[in-house]
Amino acid sequence: MLVSNSGPDASGRAALRLLMELLPGMSIVEGATVLEPVTSSDQPTLRSATIVEGTKLRAVKVPDFSRETASGFGAFLDGAQKVQVVAHQFGMPVVLGTVSAAVRVRLDRRLTTWALHPPRVERKIYLPLRFLPALSEPPKASNGIVPADWQIVDTSTADRNGDYPIAHPAALLERAVRAVDQERDQLEDRLAEAWCARGEAPLYIDGGISRSASVASSSCAIGVIKSHRALYAEGDALGVVFGLEKGERSSVFRVSPRSRSSVLSWYLRVRPAEGHDALWGLVRVEMSECDRAPERADEISRWVMAEMTPLSLPDGRWDKMAYGVRDCEEFLRAIS
Amino acid sequence: MSEALGRVVATERKPNTPHEFHFWTAIDSPVGIGTIVRVDGAQPMGGQIPHIYGIIVEGFSYTDLITPMHDVLGHDGSPTTAGFASTERAEIRLYTAAVLRQIPEEPLQPVPMGQVFLADENDVQVALRMDGYLKEGANTGIPVGVYRAGGTDAVIYLDADFLLGPEAAHLNITGVSGLATKTSAVEWLLASLFKHFPEDKGSIAAVCFNVKGPDLCYLDQPGKIEENDEVLYEKLGVEPKPFEKVEYFAPYTAKGLALNTFRNNEALLDNVTPLTWGLHEVLQFAEVLLNKDDVDAKADALIDFITENVVGKEFQADGVLLKNHKVESFADLDAWFRDVLQGMEKKNGESWRTHHVATIRKVRNRLSNISTRCAGLVTDSGAVSDLPFGSFVDRTVYVVDVANLEEDAQDLIFARIVSKLREHLERRDLGVKHLVVFVDELNKYAPGDGPDTYVRKMLLDIAERGRYLGLVLFSAQQFRSQVHRRVVGNSGTGLFGRMDPDELSTPGYAVLSPATRTKLATLEKGQLMIRHPHFTQPIFVRFPRPSVMQGREGSERYPQSTEISIDAAVLRTLRPLDPTITLPWVQEITALYTDDEIIRARNATLLARPKDVKAYFSAQFRKIIPAQPAQRPMAGSIRTVPENDPYGF
Repeated sequence: MLVSNSGPDASGRAALRLLMELLPGMSIVEGATVLEPVTSSDQPTLRSATIVEGTKLRAVKVPDFSRETASGFGAFLDGAQKVQVVAHQFGMPVVLGTVSAAVRVRLDRRLTTWALHPPRVERKIYLPLRFLPALSEPPKASNGIVPADWQIVDTSTADRNGDYPIAHPAALLERAVRAVDQERDQLEDRLAEAWCARGEAPLYIDGGISRSASVASSSCAIGVIKSHRALYAEGDALGVVFGLEKGERSSVFRVSPRSRSSVLSWYLRVRPAEGHDALWGLVRVEMSECDRAPERADEISRWVMAEMTPLSLPDGRWDKMAYGVRDCEEFLRAIS
Repeated sequence: MSEALGRVVATERKPNTPHEFHFWTAIDSPVGIGTIVRVDGAQPMGGQIPHIYGIIVEGFSYTDLITPMHDVLGHDGSPTTAGFASTERAEIRLYTAAVLRQIPEEPLQPVPMGQVFLADENDVQVALRMDGYLKEGANTGIPVGVYRAGGTDAVIYLDADFLLGPEAAHLNITGVSGLATKTSAVEWLLASLFKHFPEDKGSIAAVCFNVKGPDLCYLDQPGKIEENDEVLYEKLGVEPKPFEKVEYFAPYTAKGLALNTFRNNEALLDNVTPLTWGLHEVLQFAEVLLNKDDVDAKADALIDFITENVVGKEFQADGVLLKNHKVESFADLDAWFRDVLQGMEKKNGESWRTHHVATIRKVRNRLSNISTRCAGLVTDSGAVSDLPFGSFVDRTVYVVDVANLEEDAQDLIFARIVSKLREHLERRDLGVKHLVVFVDELNKYAPGDGPDTYVRKMLLDIAERGRYLGLVLFSAQQFRSQVHRRVVGNSGTGLFGRMDPDELSTPGYAVLSPATRTKLATLEKGQLMIRHPHFTQPIFVRFPRPSVMQGREGSERYPQSTEISIDAAVLRTLRPLDPTITLPWVQEITALYTDDEIIRARNATLLARPKDVKAYFSAQFRKIIPAQPAQRPMAGSIRTVPENDPYGF
């Protein structure tokens, strides 16, 4: 997932000008900073998982891997988002959110955009309408108040418990960021579902696959998670994960998050961690439930390791980022 | 409509300007340095979508790699395993194009963003402003080659008004030797000129000075044409055949027996004419052969006196000269000098008609020496065989072969022929309205530095004023930077074959982009870069191999004759005039005469071209009564001597 930090584009500025007319006293934030996704601020957790391969988590050497190993992935999927507080009216934040996602297909060793489903870019303005009396009724694109490609999203609606957020700017900002996160997830899921529906070559998805039931059950969707805020190991198993050598994977285990689909997963060390922290070069791979999971895990591990060249430098996450994912991010940076 | 091959891009660091723009293409796009492209602007201007035509002058390729070290790390320092990576890095082909033309031309603005298309044949015509001179009824286009890129084959035309005047004129060719570029290009261009020069602009001919090798010696012989050349010929509208009308001129060797040319094989002599000049022809150009040390003011005055008062005039005996003189040849002039000097010696005088004896001796020495230095060209006898000044024929190539001559003789031939051409063109009586003069080795004849020679002055004069007369200089050299700036500067059209990298590093080529210079250094045979007044940027073209026999092949098929006997030389010269002449007949006629007499008779016959060659040739010899066998005298009676007369009385 890419977090872009460039300023609002031309249409974003046009939307802002219109809002300034509607919200007298609105202050523009010079040099608007980009907000990190909510996931990066989640508390680190350790979670238990059901071991599928054997009885306890152990290190498994991925067999038959060499530099000549060919990858079976046919495409890469990633999304990007940009969340900026561009203005406020008496402290109430006005947030611009842009989300995008794309599938980049590999043809003859070069990556190109999936022609059947062009990349999606969506832009929205996130406003706490409850605390902006001047906007008692949300402006709509159809009435010409905001540009057609911008939608207004209310960040002050009641949650599933019926509670409204407090008028604290930080709380409202968190609401906006979560909303953008969800938008990006949905965008990625739609593309992944479309890919899986066609049953094409295996798709390398940057992130988990359990959000969408159809994706989680598809044999051509492989999720590769680079961040480890939640570790699916406890006790001795944790030591096994941290102690994985380059080219070793953990036993396959089942991840069954609440409100998400169950998938099989394992940890894989794609680069030696000597001289680095224990999570360096460590990814967690997700795939759908299947028979002969260990053999499939070996095969997919070989593919994932083969995707580590070329290096994804200068991206700071190059130790575990596939070049195809970096390509997606660069592509999304160019179009969004 | 064709598919777009690129998109214009501009950044703050690399902005587009009215004369330059940047665009990217797919990696496999069929474009390269020299490709002509068209940009269709996205926004109309004054109700018209702007079209910008450009030629690619620079190309860039790079990936998203920040430092080569990342690639080394990524492949563990092993280049062999780099090829196994599942994905190639993202890569860009970014090109810079120089603007050839913008439509509309006003207001002139930076090139807008837009799609880039490969130029088709019509685009090429518009881009190079050829549409202005290829109009129906006013077509002055001379095909020079074919522009090829990405499946586009477009004929590139030069404007005759800017190649042969009066708007601009002259053509200069540069290229390294040995790649069949300079001479081949001229041969091809002359063929194209003869075919396509508009009839309404009058007649045209060419005089080519063959200064080295046999390349120009077989212009009337067919050469080998390959299939791809035939395609080019058809596209360019020229028939692949040798020149129909070619006349060769060459002096004799110093011995005077054979013509001093590569083309002296008996089978090719029918259109080879000897080039011989006498005193009249040479004296006017004595300056060419005499350097400044030879010709001081005093000597110059005496030469002027001789030219004005002696040569071709009845010079009466005076107190010094013992007899009347009529000087028509070097031999006559030497006799005149001898008479003058003897007269002065007898009178013990130091000067004659204000000319000091030392000056007279010096001038005699220098002038008499000319016929020796230019033996074979300059005759003592005054016999003249020359180019057909006044009766030049349309679409004819006149080749003057000076390749085997000494430098002095080359200079003399060049100076006199060009002067005569100029004189006749000024009087409009040359026989043709336009004349192309081709001179190779301009480094030698018009160098940028060195002494200001007569030949260089003449070349400068042609370059600066020739176009008003219809006298056009096609020049060639290996190193353009070493040729006089005014000669190459006045050449409206420039052709460049493969260039030497050292030459390309000289300031004259600084206007070309590094990529264009690199392309110039690696051009194939048959490729040229063209500069022409209508083209705002140089264009690369291909031209067909000339359909004439190449020098090497010609010299193998028609070997140059070695020095032969005088009888055989006479036979070889006269037989084209009268095929019934045989070697025994020549031997019989010439048996009693000296070589000089025989050569003189041959030259006179050749010049006169009489109907009865045998009779004319025979009549040239002085009558000699054949020696009779000695007869034993009849024994006479011995007178008796008186006994007392010891003295016999």
